[in-house]
Amino acid sequence: MKVFFFTMQEFFWFSIRAFVAIPKAKQYWRDVLDQAKICGADSLPIVLVSAVSIGALLAIEVGNLLEDFGAKTMLGRSTALSVIRELGPLLMGLMLSARFGSRNGAELGAMQISEQIDALRAFGTDPIAKLVTPRLVAALIMFLPLTAFSDFAGLQSAAYMAEHYHRLDPGIFWNSVYPRLVAKDFVVGFLKAPVFAIIITLVSSFNGFSARGGTSGVGRSTIKGIVVSSGLVLIANFYVSKIVLENM
Amino acid sequence: MIELRQVGLKYGEREILKNVSLTIKDNTIKAILGPSGVGKSTILKLMLGLIKPNSGQIIVDGIDITNMKETELYAIRRKMGMVFQGNALFDSMTISQNLGFFLRENMKLPEDEITRRVAEQIQFAGLEGYEEQLPESLSGGMRRRVAIGRAMIFKPHMILFDEPTAGLDPVSSKKILSLISSLRHNNNLGAVIVTHIIDDVFNVADSVAVLYKGEIIFDDVTEKLHHAEHPFIRSILSDKILEL
Repeated sequence: MKVFFFTMQEFFWFSIRAFVAIPKAKQYWRDVLDQAKICGADSLPIVLVSAVSIGALLAIEVGNLLEDFGAKTMLGRSTALSVIRELGPLLMGLMLSARFGSRNGAELGAMQISEQIDALRAFGTDPIAKLVTPRLVAALIMFLPLTAFSDFAGLQSAAYMAEHYHRLDPGIFWNSVYPRLVAKDFVVGFLKAPVFAIIITLVSSFNGFSARGGTSGVGRSTIKGIVVSSGLVLIANFYVSKIVLENM
Repeated sequence: MIELRQVGLKYGEREILKNVSLTIKDNTIKAILGPSGVGKSTILKLMLGLIKPNSGQIIVDGIDITNMKETELYAIRRKMGMVFQGNALFDSMTISQNLGFFLRENMKLPEDEITRRVAEQIQFAGLEGYEEQLPESLSGGMRRRVAIGRAMIFKPHMILFDEPTAGLDPVSSKKILSLISSLRHNNNLGAVIVTHIIDDVFNVADSVAVLYKGEIIFDDVTEKLHHAEHPFIRSILSDKILEL
């Protein structure tokens, strides 16, 4: 228990230092661009694949269910709400936790084990400002468009399955999507992007910085980073939805 | 000058250093000799403020750095260069970028001055032609020379070496030791060398402190080590290389 609270305290100060160093991010703009490419452009394929997959599955399963009640025309509305509010951002968060988080954990862990992080400190450079803040800024910037792409791909695949699997006219599908979507639906979905960006970047980086014990230590810290950030993404997903839906 | 006054350090229940006192004067080479895992590298990290002691004081050029904040320590650390045991070169950067990184990062020097200093270190380390190579493509001895060049490029007062010849072949070791000797003669630099190889001590050090079971059991000029009577020192003088 003592170790848990000590780790939480360390994580708290680590996070504060990462945020306080945000004004220094312009000094490391090349690192921000590199990280933006890694968590943005390079992550796009896996985000799209998961969004297309979940959109298509939702359309099939929800369509089957609605058909029993003679309400198949509501398929667009049902899938749009699920994709935009919940599953689009959630799957994106989980995919990025695995992809971007694991990369952060492994790279920073290897730097910690090989004393590169100590070298930065020894020569007078703040390693959090140099290594963590650019990742945080890049994730905060890139997770929003990734969420938009994820929502778009999920809806398109749902529309495709509605037309070709359930034989639902595309006009009926999209008419049940657009007029009924309200600001609250987008706020719920898009507010999750920065929350997930903060969780994934800070948890994975903190675990990388905490790596001890050679290459197996890097493996342990990377796995821990992914497990903890994925768990926190699931919890945050629930609370963001709950708080926004109850207050808007 | 660096002073450790009655420094104690514990990792959990394990006592690493017990009331360690050391003085490293400017323009001298001091070796810290001891078996692996005894806390020698920890002493270097304490000198840089990378870790904090549980008790005692660390004084650098008359300034007590024991409880300094990380941001305040940066200016102190730039007075010292550190050569890590595994070199700690940035593996995504070329040799030139590794050498120039901290000049660009912390000293805001004009680019032509940085280029000049990098070229100077490349020449000093005998690495002409390797400027654009990544560290992984160099031999262990070459990487160590890059790490020494990176530590020197700041023009520090003191360089801290963590096991400078560990893992190197005899020829590379000899080159590194002659490089360390030349630092003092050509650049008026002081140095602290942490090592478990007793021949390194006799080759380059003016004075030596022997660390055994967390305590300093000998601290004097190197020549007097031969006359020390502590059983551990007598055993290492016969064995030459220390093992746990």
